[in-house]
Amino acid sequence: MKRKKEKTPQRKSKDAHYFKPCVNASILSSMTPPPSSHPPIPPPIPVDTHPNRSPNSTSSRTPEDRVPDPDRLAPEDAYFAPSLSRARSAPTNYDDTLRSLNGDANLHPPRGVLGADPHRKDVRKLGAGRRRRKGAWKKLLWVKQSYPDNYTDTETFLDHLQRNPRVRPYDFWPLVSDSTVIVQHVCSVVIFVCCFVDIVQDRVSPVSVVCWGSVGTAVGWILWDNWIWKEQTDLSNINGAFGGDDGSSSSSVTSTANPSTNDTQANGTKDSPIHGLGLTMAANSSKENLPHQSPDRNGHIGGAVDPTARAGLSSAPSSAVAGEIDAQDIDRSPLFSSRNRQRLSTVKSAFLIYFALLGLSPILKSLTKSTASDSIWAMSCWLLIMNIFSFDYGSGEGAGATKFPASLSTNAAVMASTVLASRLPSTTHVFSLMLFSMEVFGLFPIFRRQLRQKSWTGHVCLTLALVIIAGGAVGMTMSGGWASAIIGSFLGGILTALAMGGCSWWLISLQKYKNVVIGPWDPARPIIRRHWN
Amino acid sequence: MPYNIAMVSDFFFPQSGGIESHIYQLSSKLIDRGHKVIIITHAYKGRTGVRYLTNGLKIYHVPFFVIYRETTFPTVFSFFPIFRNIVIREQIDIVHGHASLSSFCGEAILHARTMGLRTVFTDHSLFGFADAASILTNKLLKFTLSDVDHAICVSHTCKENTVLRASLDPLMVSVIPNAVVAENFCPLSYTPRTHDQIPISPADPRPSPTPIGPDDTITIVVISRLFYNKGTDLLIAAIPRILASNPNTRFIIAGSGPKAIDLEQMLERNVLQDKVEMLGSVRHEEVRDVMVRGHIYLHPSLTEAFGTVIVEAASCGLYVVCTRVGGIPEVLPQHMTTFAKPEEDDLVVATSKAITALRSNKVRTDRFHDQVKMMYSWRDVAERTERVYQGIIGDISPSEFYGHYPEQGWDLSGDRVRSFALIDRLKRYYGCGVWAGKLFCLCVVIDFLIFVFLEMWFPRANIDIARSWPKKQPMDKPRTHTIRNNRT
Repeated sequence: MKRKKEKTPQRKSKDAHYFKPCVNASILSSMTPPPSSHPPIPPPIPVDTHPNRSPNSTSSRTPEDRVPDPDRLAPEDAYFAPSLSRARSAPTNYDDTLRSLNGDANLHPPRGVLGADPHRKDVRKLGAGRRRRKGAWKKLLWVKQSYPDNYTDTETFLDHLQRNPRVRPYDFWPLVSDSTVIVQHVCSVVIFVCCFVDIVQDRVSPVSVVCWGSVGTAVGWILWDNWIWKEQTDLSNINGAFGGDDGSSSSSVTSTANPSTNDTQANGTKDSPIHGLGLTMAANSSKENLPHQSPDRNGHIGGAVDPTARAGLSSAPSSAVAGEIDAQDIDRSPLFSSRNRQRLSTVKSAFLIYFALLGLSPILKSLTKSTASDSIWAMSCWLLIMNIFSFDYGSGEGAGATKFPASLSTNAAVMASTVLASRLPSTTHVFSLMLFSMEVFGLFPIFRRQLRQKSWTGHVCLTLALVIIAGGAVGMTMSGGWASAIIGSFLGGILTALAMGGCSWWLISLQKYKNVVIGPWDPARPIIRRHWN
Repeated sequence: MPYNIAMVSDFFFPQSGGIESHIYQLSSKLIDRGHKVIIITHAYKGRTGVRYLTNGLKIYHVPFFVIYRETTFPTVFSFFPIFRNIVIREQIDIVHGHASLSSFCGEAILHARTMGLRTVFTDHSLFGFADAASILTNKLLKFTLSDVDHAICVSHTCKENTVLRASLDPLMVSVIPNAVVAENFCPLSYTPRTHDQIPISPADPRPSPTPIGPDDTITIVVISRLFYNKGTDLLIAAIPRILASNPNTRFIIAGSGPKAIDLEQMLERNVLQDKVEMLGSVRHEEVRDVMVRGHIYLHPSLTEAFGTVIVEAASCGLYVVCTRVGGIPEVLPQHMTTFAKPEEDDLVVATSKAITALRSNKVRTDRFHDQVKMMYSWRDVAERTERVYQGIIGDISPSEFYGHYPEQGWDLSGDRVRSFALIDRLKRYYGCGVWAGKLFCLCVVIDFLIFVFLEMWFPRANIDIARSWPKKQPMDKPRTHTIRNNRT
C-alpha cells in the first residue's frame, strides 16, 4: 500500500515495463490511499504465468505476430506516418533488448503512444491469428471470442494509460527566485499598513511619510524614464540598421498599426494623423483626457495608465514602434521636444492628481466616518488580502494573462486606504495617506516589474531593501525605538528567507502526489485549424 | 435456473435514449429466456404507479423528487421502504442497476446488499478524472461499487475506466457490448437472405445493387445531438472543406442542441444551404429512415463509451467515418470504417478517403447489414448477462467464473464472492478513502438499522406476493415453473 508514496511522477512510456505488472495493486490503490484494514487487494496477476505469455507460447510467437510488418504499407500510413513509425520501431528494439536481458518476454514493451492506432495493430494480429493461432484475445467487441466476458488481458489492459504526461518538475532555486515577486508585494503592503498604524498613533508625521514616498516615486520615475528612453533609442538603432528610412512605407505601417495599438484608449485616436508623431500626440491627448472623466478614482489610474500605455507601446508589435521610431529618425529636433512634451504631460497629470486628491480628501475623510471601527479594520484587512491574492505577479509579457484583472487588485487597495482614511484626524492626514497608497499600490508595481526586466541584481537589491524596511517597520510599530526596528528587520529577513525556502521546498515535495491519469476515456481535444466566427 | 431480476435506473421510457432502450431490450430478451424481470424507475410526468409493457415486463414508476435531467435527488435512505416492499413483493434475487449518474441505481444497490441480494451494475459512460464534477461522481461510484457483486461495461475502454474509477478487481468487471435490433435498421434495398440461399462460395454471388458512378451524389449523414462533446465544432470546421474538395457531395444533419446555431451560421456564411440539409431532432424510430438516404455516416464525437449509432449506421449499410476516441475503435471491423484523429484536417482527409473508396465501389456496403446482424444481437447480450447472473448467484462455481486459468497460481477465493456479513461490508466501504470511508460506513450502518426497523414494523408476512405474468412454457426449458413452485 505504501508503494504509491514512493512513486515519483513519471511518464508511462518510460517505465511501462515495470509499471505494468503491478497495475492491479499500485494503480488501483493509488486512487485513494486505503487504510490498513482495507480488504486485501487481490494479488497482481502474475504476467509470466499467463497462458498467452508463458514461455513456450511466446517462443512460438513470431516477432511479426506482435509487430506489424514494417515493409507493408497501409493506406493510412500516408497520414499516420510519424506516430506509426514510432510505434513500430520502438517495440522491436525494446523487445530485443528486453528479451536478451530477461530471457523471457514477461516484461512487455510499451505499445506506442496514445494516438498510435491500436485498432490496426489488433486487426493485423487478428488476420495473422486466424491463420496461426485461434486463441489470442483481441480488444474488440465485434468478434466472438472464446474467452469469458470478464477476461482481463494483462498485455493490453490499461496499456494506453498515461500518468502525469504534462508535468513539469520544479527546481528549487528558480522557484525561490520567482517567489521574490510575491515577497516584494507583501512587503510593500506591510510597509503601507505600518505607515498607517504609525500615522494613527502619531509616531510618524504623515507629511514626512508622503514626502519620502514622493521622493522615492520621483527617483523611480526618472530611472524608469531613462530605461524607456534607452529602449527606444536601441530600437531605433536596430531599425536604422535595417535601413528603414523609407518614409512613405513607414508612415503607412504606422497608420495600419495605429488603430490596433490605441484601441484601448478609445478616444480621439481614430482620426489620428497618419504620421508617426501623431501617434504619441494622440496618446498624450487621450492620457490627458482620462483624469477629467472621474478624478476621484481614475485620477490615480490616469497616472498609472501613463506608464502602462507607454510600456504597452514599447512592447507593442514592433512594426508600430518601428514605424514610430522611424518617423522620429527622420527628424531629430521634434523628437526631443516630443520626449519633453511627454515628460511635461506626466508632470501635468501628476499635479492634476495631486490637486484633485487635495480637493477630495475632506470628502474621503467623512465618507465612511459613520462606520464602526471594527468593520473598518475587518474590511480593510479583507481588501488588502484581496489585493495580495489578486495581484498580477506575472512578468506582463506574452500570454501571461491572469484570471483576475489587475485593476481588481489596485481597486481593492485604493478602497482599503479610502476606508482607513476615515479613521485619521485631519484632512492633511487623509491626503497624505491617499497619495502614499497611490504611490505604493499604483505606481510602485509598475516600477518593480520594469526593474525585474531590466536588471536582476536591482530586483534582488530592491527585494532585500523591502524586506528589511518592512521588518523594521513592523518592529518599530510593535514597540518603538530603533533597536526594535533593527531586531525586527533581522527577524523579518530570516523569517522571509525561511518562508521562501520552506514554501518552495514544500511545493516541490508536494509534486510527488501529483497523479494525473490520462487515457482513451478522456474527451479528446479537437484540433481545429480555423475558426469560422 | 430462472431468476427474478429487478432492473433499477433513473432512466427509462417514456424518456428515450441509449440507456433506456438498453434496459428495455435486455429485459425483454431475458424474459424470453425464462427469467422474470421488473424495472424500477422514478415517476415521469403523467406516468406513476405500475405499468406493463410487452411480454409482461412490469415497470414500477416510484414517485420521487427529480432534480436535474431526470435524475432523482440523492437521499441515501428514503428509497428504502418502498424498494424493500417491491423487492419482497416480486421475490427478487438480483438487483441490476444501470448508469452511474442515476442515484436510484446507487441507492438500490446499497439497499439490496443490506437485504442480502446479489447486485450487478452496468456502466454506460466514460468519465475523466480531472474536473470537480468527475471527482464527485467517481466518489459516488466508488460508494456504489464497493460492495457490488459484479459490474458490466459496454466496451473494454469503459471497463478500464470503471476499474480505475471505482478501484475494482478487473475480473469482477465483464464487458458486454450494446447491441442493435438489426431488423429495425435494414438498408433500403434489402432482401433478407433465407437459409436455403446460403452462398456456395465465400464471395457473395449477388452483385452490388447500385454501383456508384463517378458523378453520382454521395450523401453524408450525421445524426447526433449538437453538443460540444459530440464534436460539433469539428463538424462545423470540416463541412465546408469536405464540400469544397469533393464535388457532388451532400450532407444531411439530424439533431439539435446548443451548437445548432453555430452550424447554421457556418452554413449561411459559406452559402451551403443547398448542400446541407438540417432536419432538426429526429425520433429514434425515424433514425433509420434518415440513415438510408445516405452513403456515409460521419461521427465526429469526442468521447464515446460504445457508440451504438455507428453500429446502427453500419447496419443500415452506411460506410462509417468516425473519430478514434473512447470505445469506438473496438466496435466495428476495419472494412466498415475509416478512422480519423479528432482533428479537423484528419477528419477531412478521412472523409475524402471514404468518398473515394465508395466511388470506386470497393466497399461492399450491401453486405454490412448481414455482418452486423451476426456481430451484435440482444439475444447474445442477454445470454452473456445471464452468465454473469449465474456467476454471482453461485450456479457457476467461482473458480470457473473468475479464475478461468487455474494454472495462473493465484488465490481464487479472494474477495470476489462478496459475503453479506455486515462487518465484511464495512471493511470494504472503509477502504474508500480517509474521510469518505468513514462516512460510507456510517451510511451502511444506518441503512442496516433502517432495515432492522422495517423488518420489525412492516414484517415480511404482511407484504403480498405478486403473481407472475402467466407465460407459456419455454420450449428449451420445461422445468421453469416447477422450480419456481418449489422455491416459493
